[in-house]
Formats: sequence, structure tokens, C-alpha cells
Amino acid sequence: MNFTSVIYALARADFLERVRRYSFFLTMLFALFLGYGAATGRISIRMGDYRGVYTSAWIGALVALVTTAFVSLVGFYIVKGSVDRDRQTGVGQILAATPLSRPVYALGKFLSNLCVLTSVVAVLAVCALLMQGFTSEEAHFDSVALLAPFVLVAFPTMALTAALAVLFEMLPLLNGGVGNVLWFFVWSMGGLGLAEISGNPRLDPMGFLTVAKSMEAAAAKIIPGYQGGFALGIAPGHPAVIDTLRWHGVAWTSEMIGLRVAWFAAAFAIALLAAVFFDRFDPAKAPRFWLRRPKLVAQNAVMNSSAALPITPADEAVFGTGSKEPSLTAAQPREPHLTALAGAARRKGFGRLLIAEFGLAVQGRRWWWYAVALGLLVAQFLTPWGAARGPLLGTAWLWCVLLWSAMGSRESRCGTRGLLFSCSGILDRQVPACYLAGVAIAALSGAGIAVRLLHGGDTAGLLGFLAGVFFLPSLALALGAVSGTGKAFEAILTAWWYIGPINHTRGFDFTGAANGARTLRYAGMYVALTVALLAVAFVARSRQLRNN
Amino acid sequence: MRLQVQALCKNYRGGTHALRGVNLSLEAGVVGLLGPNGAGKSTLMRILATITQPTSGRVLWNGENIADKPEPLREALGYLPQDFGVYPNLNAIEFLEYLAAVKGIAAAAARKRIAELLDLVNLAAAAKRPLGGYSGGMRQRVGIAQALLNDPLLLIVDEPTAGLDPEERMRFRNLLSELSGERIVILSTHIVSDIEAVASSIAILGQGELLAHDAPEALLGRLAGCVWEVVVSSSELPKLRRDHLVSSTAHRSDGVHARVVSNSAPTPLARPLEPTLEDAYLDALSRQRNRDAAPEIFRPPPPPDVLATSHLKSHAGQEPRHSGTGTPVSGGPVA
Repeated sequence: MNFTSVIYALARADFLERVRRYSFFLTMLFALFLGYGAATGRISIRMGDYRGVYTSAWIGALVALVTTAFVSLVGFYIVKGSVDRDRQTGVGQILAATPLSRPVYALGKFLSNLCVLTSVVAVLAVCALLMQGFTSEEAHFDSVALLAPFVLVAFPTMALTAALAVLFEMLPLLNGGVGNVLWFFVWSMGGLGLAEISGNPRLDPMGFLTVAKSMEAAAAKIIPGYQGGFALGIAPGHPAVIDTLRWHGVAWTSEMIGLRVAWFAAAFAIALLAAVFFDRFDPAKAPRFWLRRPKLVAQNAVMNSSAALPITPADEAVFGTGSKEPSLTAAQPREPHLTALAGAARRKGFGRLLIAEFGLAVQGRRWWWYAVALGLLVAQFLTPWGAARGPLLGTAWLWCVLLWSAMGSRESRCGTRGLLFSCSGILDRQVPACYLAGVAIAALSGAGIAVRLLHGGDTAGLLGFLAGVFFLPSLALALGAVSGTGKAFEAILTAWWYIGPINHTRGFDFTGAANGARTLRYAGMYVALTVALLAVAFVARSRQLRNN
Repeated sequence: MRLQVQALCKNYRGGTHALRGVNLSLEAGVVGLLGPNGAGKSTLMRILATITQPTSGRVLWNGENIADKPEPLREALGYLPQDFGVYPNLNAIEFLEYLAAVKGIAAAAARKRIAELLDLVNLAAAAKRPLGGYSGGMRQRVGIAQALLNDPLLLIVDEPTAGLDPEERMRFRNLLSELSGERIVILSTHIVSDIEAVASSIAILGQGELLAHDAPEALLGRLAGCVWEVVVSSSELPKLRRDHLVSSTAHRSDGVHARVVSNSAPTPLARPLEPTLEDAYLDALSRQRNRDAAPEIFRPPPPPDVLATSHLKSHAGQEPRHSGTGTPVSGGPVA
């Protein structure tokens, strides 16, 4: 079997595995939602306050750019995880024992990712076709103009997203929650910001500039006083339509096409680069500086060999030399005996469970994680109020994202659902304890601001702060319980942090800093959201308890 | 203390019938659950552990339906699933302390119990190592320890000895024997010798049906005089397998020594043997296969669980028997 057949077989199996999952159905719903948003004008391209007639080219560009922007952001979270799945399911061990090479595996995963993202693009391309019939602004149908942006703009961007997802999965530092958080910055700065700041099409992986420049040139000829301006986004109201602005698409030159092909080639190269970092499911290659302790994935592979963990002197004393695992071979056999548990020993101590949940949440980090958390806490006392109240508190909370993202999903990720869900009091004790442990993390990590608010007698500010303290864990718990992973929370919190505390967007600032005179009103909104999210978490967990 | 399973059915999406009208009544003691892969053992255990709902039927714990009131059963339950994970960054003590808190065990009692359990499962020396570095067998022993944390009245263990070495298996069997006096223990395994060693009753499941539920001696008594050793050549073995239920074979210098379950001597030189539970288990499955393969008008009437239990108790040694996978020898519908 040649390597292309192997890549195809790998990608096919992976793709089939994914499309048969419920999450793929949700992905398609997301694609349809974007298509609906574009078709109804909720998402639009604006040239200043105007837009052109919905020609085939305009619709193609609009939907393709919507796809490029949103699907590249969300799609990363959708496709990332296939290597981890191979690890967790043990398929990786089987693959590692075959002659499969690292590049072939990486390319297989890249192709599978690309197939998933391309299927989303295909759905949106169909939406674009339907949209032209639906809007009826232009009778002439130009299939090339409509589909060219999908092929030349969206597809290479999807390839980049697919390849970066593989690279992130192969890099030990980025294959978990840190990578999920970092992707938002890569996407916003590398994908959008770089092109906008530089204005250089060569630094525009999403291909926005090529389309924008073509549209701006057309607009400049038609719209009187047009000073430039191109915006793709969700905005209230509908822009005025300029009947004479009939844009017929980008005049694709060989240089433009070459540039887009180059981005696709770059994606291919990134996928190959990922292969360099691929550990071939060998847990011994996990870097020690990052992992405080052996990872879950190591348990099957490492400990089955006697050389996996160092034999401690204590082991040797008890079990004899040469034995890795405690065994009766070396130890003196004893008759098993257990003291009966007295009735008084059974009591529903909530405080202990809360402490246990808190310990579970904060354990497992390296020392420098705690050091940074402490530094952010101390800085809250020392930093000028304006910077501390919103951005610093927001950042201190963002630093805890990985503690919260495990809430509600830890049982699924670690496979302890069977053990936990057969215990009594999960809904009335364990879930509340888990949530309150999250609240305690929020309160502790933002304690500096709380003290300053208390000291300053800012009751409204304190209530706004408390609303955030209660809101963030509820969001994490609900998303974790519903999705079974921490990815959704990691992605949403990062975006929310950027929009709210960093850009001071009123209403979105969960720290309460940017909400000004409406602090109490927004605090009320966050409290209502908290209640709703907790209800979602309880319902989700209740359903899981009934049908695990 | 009583656990009753009444007409329990579980259908999965796609039309898979995991359980078909299972009836069981359990009191203190160890019940061994035997069955081939896909027989419905794990589904039954998950339902009993309240983590899956049945499609129909009910389970009563001390007279109360666990679908309506799962908490009393959960408080009395120790459950070891077939597949389970651990929190890799915690060590065994931390993990058990966490689960003790979830199970509502007081701190001092939990500490004492955990120390005892870790000693019992022979993990005391490895107790402070992170679980992420444990082998499959060590993790399994942590699973056993957590199942016993709350001193359960109902202990459900699904393939508990998977991954354990023979000595640890023996140790676990002894532990189950000691525990069984005052509680219900439901033990599912493919290892018949494990069940033989500890079970006070045995339930055999096949394709979601309860084929038999009785004391080991009753199951064995039913096959008295029906197990034979036949020595055949290798070339004759396939024919023997076609005509009879062959429960095991051993290649020797004088030929293949085949263990055959049959109502009458399969060959004139056949030597009678004492039946084993493995024979009884295979015979029960074989009966089900024959019943399902027979044309519908000739099929014996259900329910098999009731038949199995009552017949085994009252007609041991008298019931018509067939000769394995082939045609029933006497009393069968297509003789």
C-alpha cells in the first residue's frame, strides 16, 4: 500500500468517525445558522453605510468571507481533538505498532480535518446558491463568480485551520486548554489583525484584502464621497442598497491565485511540520517541564513495562528488587479483612466535599501556574485602579480558565462517570460542591479587587464583581455538562474576555468594570444568566444520571 | 435486604435488545453472572447501579423501585464498572478521599477505611504515586477499593479481576467470600473458576435472556451423567463438534481428548466425567441456540428464566436433554 492510500484510509476512517457523531450535526446547524444570518441580512458586508446589489459575486463573497472568518475560528475547536481521541481510545497504540510514519499520520489527520471543514464550506456554498434565488435582487446567475470565493478564499483558509489544529495537537504545550485559548489570539492577530495593520495581501491568510480591495474599487466609482471602508460583521439594521453598485467579483489574476495556492501549500507544510513534533503515542516523550505528573494517556503504555517508573527504595524494601508493581509474590500474603463502617461514619458533610472538589480543581498544575496566579492577585492591590478593575481582573480570571473548563466535563474526560454517577447525592451535593469550588476560585483569584471595592465602599461595583464571580463557574459547568469537554468554555471565555474586559464593551464585561452607571443592571443580567446556566447544568447532569 | 428484577428489558437505538424480560430475585450472597460477550451482563449491571434506565420492567431495592427512588440503593451501593477512569493527577489516597467525600463518609472514618482498603488491595506502598502512572492491574485495584469504600450492602463488580495477576485474583476471590455473608454481591466475569470459587448462585445470560439462575450444585446436578470424555483423532474432531456439544479439548499422544456434553454416550468407548460449571454454562447457551434455530412452531414456550430456575430445582436429572449443538437426542421437538 503506497502512502497516498494510507493517508486516504486514515482520513476516511477519521472523517467517518466524526460525521457519525452528534457534534457534526451541531456543526452543520452552525453552518446553516451562518447561512441564515447572511441570507436575512443580519450578517453583511458594508461599504460605509451601504452595500451593493446581491449579485452572484457579492453573495459568493459575503458567504465565503463569513465562512472564512467564523468557521476558521470555530472550526478549529471542532476539528481539534482527533489525535487526542486516538490517544484516549487506544487506537493510537495500535497505529503506533504499525509501519505508519509520522508524516503520513499527520497528513491523514490534516486531510480529515480539511474534509470536515470543507463539508461546512460546501453547506454554506449551497446556502449562497439558495440565497441568490431568495433575495431576487439580481436575475443573472454567475456560478463562477459565486463559487470562486469559496474555492480561492475559504478553502485555503480552511486548510490552514486544519493544519494548525494538527500542529497544536502535536505540540505538547498546546494540545490542551492552553492551545484552545491561544488559538483565539492566533486567529484574531495572525488571521485578521496582521492583514489589517499591514495592508499587505501577502500577509493575509484569510484573503480578505483581495476581496475588500476589489469591492472598495467598485464602490469608489459608484458611491459619491466614498472614503473607503469595508466591514464584514453582525450589525443592527440593514445598510442602504446602492442599485448601481453591481460588483461582479474579483478579477482573479495569476498572482492572486498563486498567493492563495501558496497559503494552501503553507498549510500542507504546517501539517508536515506537525509530524516533527508527533510523539507517535509514546508517553515517555512528553516533556517533563510541562507535565507535573504522568498524564492519563501514559497509564496504559508506560506501566505495562517494568522500566516505566523508577523503582523507589520503598518499593524494593517492601516488594523486593526487580518488581515494579506491588504484588503478593514479594509481599507476605494476608487474609483480607475490612472493619465494618459504623453507621455514624455515614453523614452528608458538604464542607468536606466542597474542599475535595476545590482540591480536585486546583491540583495538577506546575508551580509556575500558581506563581503567576499569585502574581496576578498581588498586582490587583498594586496596579492603578483603572487597569486593575477590568483588564487585570479579567486576565486573572482568564488565567483560571483551565480550572473551570474541567467543571462538568471532568467525569467524561477522565472516564469516572460510572464511579460517580452510581453514588448518592450527585445532584444535591456533588454538583453544587463543584460549582461552589469554581466560585471560590473566582473569588480568590479576584480577591484583590474585592478588597479594594470593599475598602472604597463601592457597593454597586462589589455586586458587579460578585455577579462575575458567580457567573463564570456557572458558564463553565453548563457548557462542560452539556458538551462533555472543556473546549467550548475555553473558546467562549477567551473571546468574551477580549470583547468585554479588554475592549471595555458594556454588558460584555463580566468583571463589571465597563458597565458604568448600569453596573447594577448588568449585574442583575449576569445573575439571571447564572441561574439559567445552573438550571441547564442540573438538567444535563440529571439526564446523564438517568442514562449514562 | 432484597433486590428484585422484574421483566427487565433494555433496547438500544438501532433495535438492539440488550435485555429481554429478565427476572431475578437476590438476597445476601454472591451471585455470579455468566454470559458471552454481548449477552447483556454489563447493561444489567448498569441498570442495577442506577446509571442506565431500563426500557421496561423494574428493579426493586427493598421493595422500592430504583427508577423512582434511586437514592436508597445508591447509598448502599458499591460499583465497579467494567471500564472506568481515574483522575490522573491525584494519587490513590487523594482519589479515594474524594470519592469518600462524594459518598458522604465522615473524614476520620474515611481515612481509616482508605488505609485499610489500600492495604487490602496491596497498594499501600504505591498509594502516594499519581494514578496516571498506574498499570491496568493497579488501577483495577483502586477500582475495587473505591467500590468497597462505603461498606456497601450491594456490591456490583463487572469483570473485577480483569488485569489482575493470578495471586491478586485469588486474593480478591477470598475478599468476596468474606464480604458475601451480609450483603448482596453481583459478580460478572468470563472466568468460570472465579465464579465457581465464590458464587452461592449463578445466573447465565445469553442474548439478553436469563437462561438459568440457580445454585452451582443444582446446575451441576442437572448434567450428572451427561458429560463424557471421548478420544478421537484430529480428523474426527470436526464431526464430533458438529454432532455434539464439545466443551473442551486437549491434544495428547493418543489423540484428542474431547469433553462432550451429551444425554447418552457419544461413542461406545466414551468415559463418563463429573460435570463442571463450564459444561453447564455451555449447555445453557447451546440450548438457547437450538431453541432459536428451531422452526417457530416447534419452539418450547418462554420464559426461559422461569423454566430454567424451576426446572433446575425440581427436575434436576430428569429433564430431556440434547446433545449439544446438534439435534436433541430425546424429548426434543425435532428428534
